[in-house]
Amino acid sequence: MNRKIFVLLSVLLAATFMLTACGTAAATEAAAEEPAMDDTAMEEAPAEAAAEPVTITWWHISTKDPALSDWQKMADDYMADHPNVNIEITVLENESFKTKLTTVMQSGEVPDIFQSWGGGTLKEQIDAGLLKDITADLDADGGAWRDTFAPGALAVFSSDGENYGVPWDMGMVGWWYNKDLFTQAGITDTPKTWAEFLTDVQLLKDAGITPIALGEGDSWTGMHIWSYLATRIGGEAAFTAAADRSGAFTDPAFVQAGVELQNLIDMEPFQDGYLGATHDEMQATFGNGKAAMELSGQWAPSVEAANSADGVGVANLGMFNFPTVEGGAGAITDVIGGGNGFAIGKDAEPEAIDFVKYLTNVQNQTIIGASGTGIPVVKGAEVGLTDPNLLLVQQSFAAAKYFQLYYDQVLPSAMGGIINDAVQKLYAGTATADDVAAEIEAGAQEQIK
Amino acid sequence: MGKYLTTPRWIQKVIPRIIIYVFLISATIMIFIPIVILLFGSVKTTGQMYSHPYSIPNPPNWENILLILSTPSFWNMLKNSLIVMVATTGGTVSICALAAFVFARMQFRGKNFLFNLFTIGLMFPINVAILPVYFVLRQLELMGIPMIDQLWGVILVQIAFQLSGNIMILRGFFTAVPTDLQDVAYMDGCTNFDFFWRIMLPLVKPSLSAVGALVMIASWNDLLVPLIVLNSNQLWTLPLGTMQFQGQYGQDLALVSAFVALSAIPTIIFYFFAERQIVSGLTAGAVKG
Amino acid sequence: MQFLPVAKQKLNLAKNTMNGRRTQDRIVIALFLLPALILFLLFVIYPIFRSVYFSTFDWKGFGPAVDYIGLDNYKKILTDEVFLKAIKNVLIIITLSLGLQLPLALILAVLVGRDLPGRSLFRTIFFLPYVLSEVNTGIMWMLLYNADPTRGFINSIMVQLGFEPIAWLADMNVVIFAIFITLTWKYFGFHMLLYLTGLQNIPKEIEEAARIDGANSIQNFFYITLPLLGSTIKTSVYMSVLGSIQQFVLVWVMTRGGPVNASETMATYMYRFGFVRYQLGYGSAVAIIMFILCMIFSLLYQALTRKPDYITGL
Repeated sequence: MNRKIFVLLSVLLAATFMLTACGTAAATEAAAEEPAMDDTAMEEAPAEAAAEPVTITWWHISTKDPALSDWQKMADDYMADHPNVNIEITVLENESFKTKLTTVMQSGEVPDIFQSWGGGTLKEQIDAGLLKDITADLDADGGAWRDTFAPGALAVFSSDGENYGVPWDMGMVGWWYNKDLFTQAGITDTPKTWAEFLTDVQLLKDAGITPIALGEGDSWTGMHIWSYLATRIGGEAAFTAAADRSGAFTDPAFVQAGVELQNLIDMEPFQDGYLGATHDEMQATFGNGKAAMELSGQWAPSVEAANSADGVGVANLGMFNFPTVEGGAGAITDVIGGGNGFAIGKDAEPEAIDFVKYLTNVQNQTIIGASGTGIPVVKGAEVGLTDPNLLLVQQSFAAAKYFQLYYDQVLPSAMGGIINDAVQKLYAGTATADDVAAEIEAGAQEQIK
Repeated sequence: MGKYLTTPRWIQKVIPRIIIYVFLISATIMIFIPIVILLFGSVKTTGQMYSHPYSIPNPPNWENILLILSTPSFWNMLKNSLIVMVATTGGTVSICALAAFVFARMQFRGKNFLFNLFTIGLMFPINVAILPVYFVLRQLELMGIPMIDQLWGVILVQIAFQLSGNIMILRGFFTAVPTDLQDVAYMDGCTNFDFFWRIMLPLVKPSLSAVGALVMIASWNDLLVPLIVLNSNQLWTLPLGTMQFQGQYGQDLALVSAFVALSAIPTIIFYFFAERQIVSGLTAGAVKG
Repeated sequence: MQFLPVAKQKLNLAKNTMNGRRTQDRIVIALFLLPALILFLLFVIYPIFRSVYFSTFDWKGFGPAVDYIGLDNYKKILTDEVFLKAIKNVLIIITLSLGLQLPLALILAVLVGRDLPGRSLFRTIFFLPYVLSEVNTGIMWMLLYNADPTRGFINSIMVQLGFEPIAWLADMNVVIFAIFITLTWKYFGFHMLLYLTGLQNIPKEIEEAARIDGANSIQNFFYITLPLLGSTIKTSVYMSVLGSIQQFVLVWVMTRGGPVNASETMATYMYRFGFVRYQLGYGSAVAIIMFILCMIFSLLYQALTRKPDYITGL
């Protein structure tokens, strides 16, 4: 018996060495190719060869193709043009990225370029001196770089007029719906008001169709319904007041949002087990035609299709803006959304900023739009956008007079979790609209300073 | 069923046997259901996985597996995982054996204190310790000892958090070896090191392998330490590999299943070899409580 | 501080009066302990102190901790309903583990421990879940628990048997039990293994003698096997309780402690408030509280049960 384990151990060891050997061989091959490229580049541009070698660390969360390969290619192209620059990319899944970034930042370290959603968390990182002010770079040459961006999207990555990052895509949340199921329930037009919306929910229920797919196990999915209601009821003014502390989250708009949401929940419009379902399961429910609507972002069409049984998803997909609430201050064109961007770490070399400039130039932004990765934020890149669903989002987005950044991103970092957890209690039936507002306000008093 | 019953003996034996087998087989089925679903999932599309997770994949979609096996990164991660596993296991077993020997066989002042200090590790697991652990790694890095983005950074942290439990277990085994042996050995002029190396180690070898097997499982499945320590994809271990299929807005469950199934194969093969070893190793040399 | 009595050490090395021997002993002691000590002090002990330090700050982890608040984090945690809920959940898991999971493991160990044809196959199978990673276990069980009978295997069986489907992970009254079932699936094999090693140490002769005296297998189990397994059971209980207090990955993957904290454990609480909300000072305080609770448990357990076990020396 003893021998068996030692045989096994030696086999394992042997396997390790073999793999190491293979890996090294493969790496050497790869290395052999790369310097070859570098060499030619150096011959062509001897002036640049003298430049000091610079290493840029870049963390992003585009784990899937096409974005994954697109980013890699952009980095490779840049390195080919700038032989002195070495870009080290770390690709992480969303939640792992946040865990790792938190762990690394608390020790005072920060990557040169990393995924960011802007807003409150970015502001905290700025206040802690972890980011680099790139305002001057944006304004150089008469604001040449700055002018390429949609101003609203760029503003998400700034604080007090100073910029610390740039966006690379933008999106918004709206109601995606299954046109066939709407027809089946006898609904001829998309709802424009909350009352119409509730009527339609009832019509769908009467037709034996689950009206709404929800994945409240990931509590942000349900929070969006609440935050939209608050935006429709209170408009820009209510949120601004609550956020700058001249108002409060216990103001009527937020309580009313909870009451309206409660009305919806009381109709039991969601699929069974929605309280424990994940966002992926919500997309699967919708994609399989098991529910007529879902409140989701620009990513909905691709994810519901991928998660559906046939891989195609909803055949007749549509999107409508969140309906207005009667007597509310918000317009139907106001949208809640947000997007992805790159924050610049405090120790970033000028080359890193130059590289980000390259990443967000019109050509590369067109690639992002054309591949359906996201809705570009640079003027002129929207020509790349061909996906009809993304176009739908882009039009809604462009028509918006008031753009509200996601509640869980615009406020200080801790507030996202506080709001999500509080609103979840409405869905679970363990709190009233007043309780939820009070809980969020209590958190805000502590967190927003 | 006492001996006074007149039922034939073979029935007395057979009926409980049947009941036992029914019980064991139902437990077996319950163990296999999740695993079978995982295996089914590895040959489905993601849509099928979310929509009909437990149906039999028909026809099986081998693309997931082929796709993963054809990517060089899978083999690279397998290599890294093996390196980390072998090194962590080797390191843990040798370091723990040395310390356990001292605690079991030598006398010195402060022994109790030191031993108790080591038990504290059981109460502070890595997932609550990760922030300060990273801080330490970074301090070492600043002192010129590269730790971050290095496999040995992962290995050292893994070993550190395996020490407590394994020193305790091994100390038990060393204590169980009869003391007369030590007396005889010393009288023959054996040094402490000789005694440890020539007499003790061979005696507790089965136990060392048992401990090693448990360390291997823990190291192979560890996600948190490699995630925090490693940056470059070249150094990733298998548990980090599932991240490739988890996008910002949705995860590719079928590919995750396929990846998970493939990366579990080495441990399962290993386990089939080592199972007897673990049981007998943990038993060997044990004293009755 | 001494909560682990050292096994009786009969040999007194001082007998070897030669000076050279003693110097040599010292060198061996130092050299043998050094690697373990260095790693342990660096990566385990120092982090504990650092966590204690951070737990006295209102610290978000962006930059150095400056906002000293004394024991406020601790006060807040210990009066937070959610944390108390987490403690309650941990107690539920501990109770169920000790009441169901460990007995199950023990029964299976007895069944596969003796002369049953095919026992080694069963043993191998029963330990299999322990070999798989916690993340994967969580993903697999999420699929099994799906509320929709057409998608969740368990519910499809329930419907076929004529029961109403249960929203296992969505029902706040059920979710903690669903988690417990998964924990049992994952960990009973480990405890079974501990019991198997204990069983192997019970001389067969004792049981045979009892059998000849007319004891049936059930009497045999209660009057002979169980008492002789005492020390192993002690180890298993100890591991189970510490594991329950520190339980994190499975719960986080399956429910994130939800819905609405219904399956929150202390470790998911720490992650939710420490990492997700970027309150690292607060999270550190939770870690220290967990540490202290484990410590208190160890000391009490040590005081209450005197027999040392060979496996851990406890």
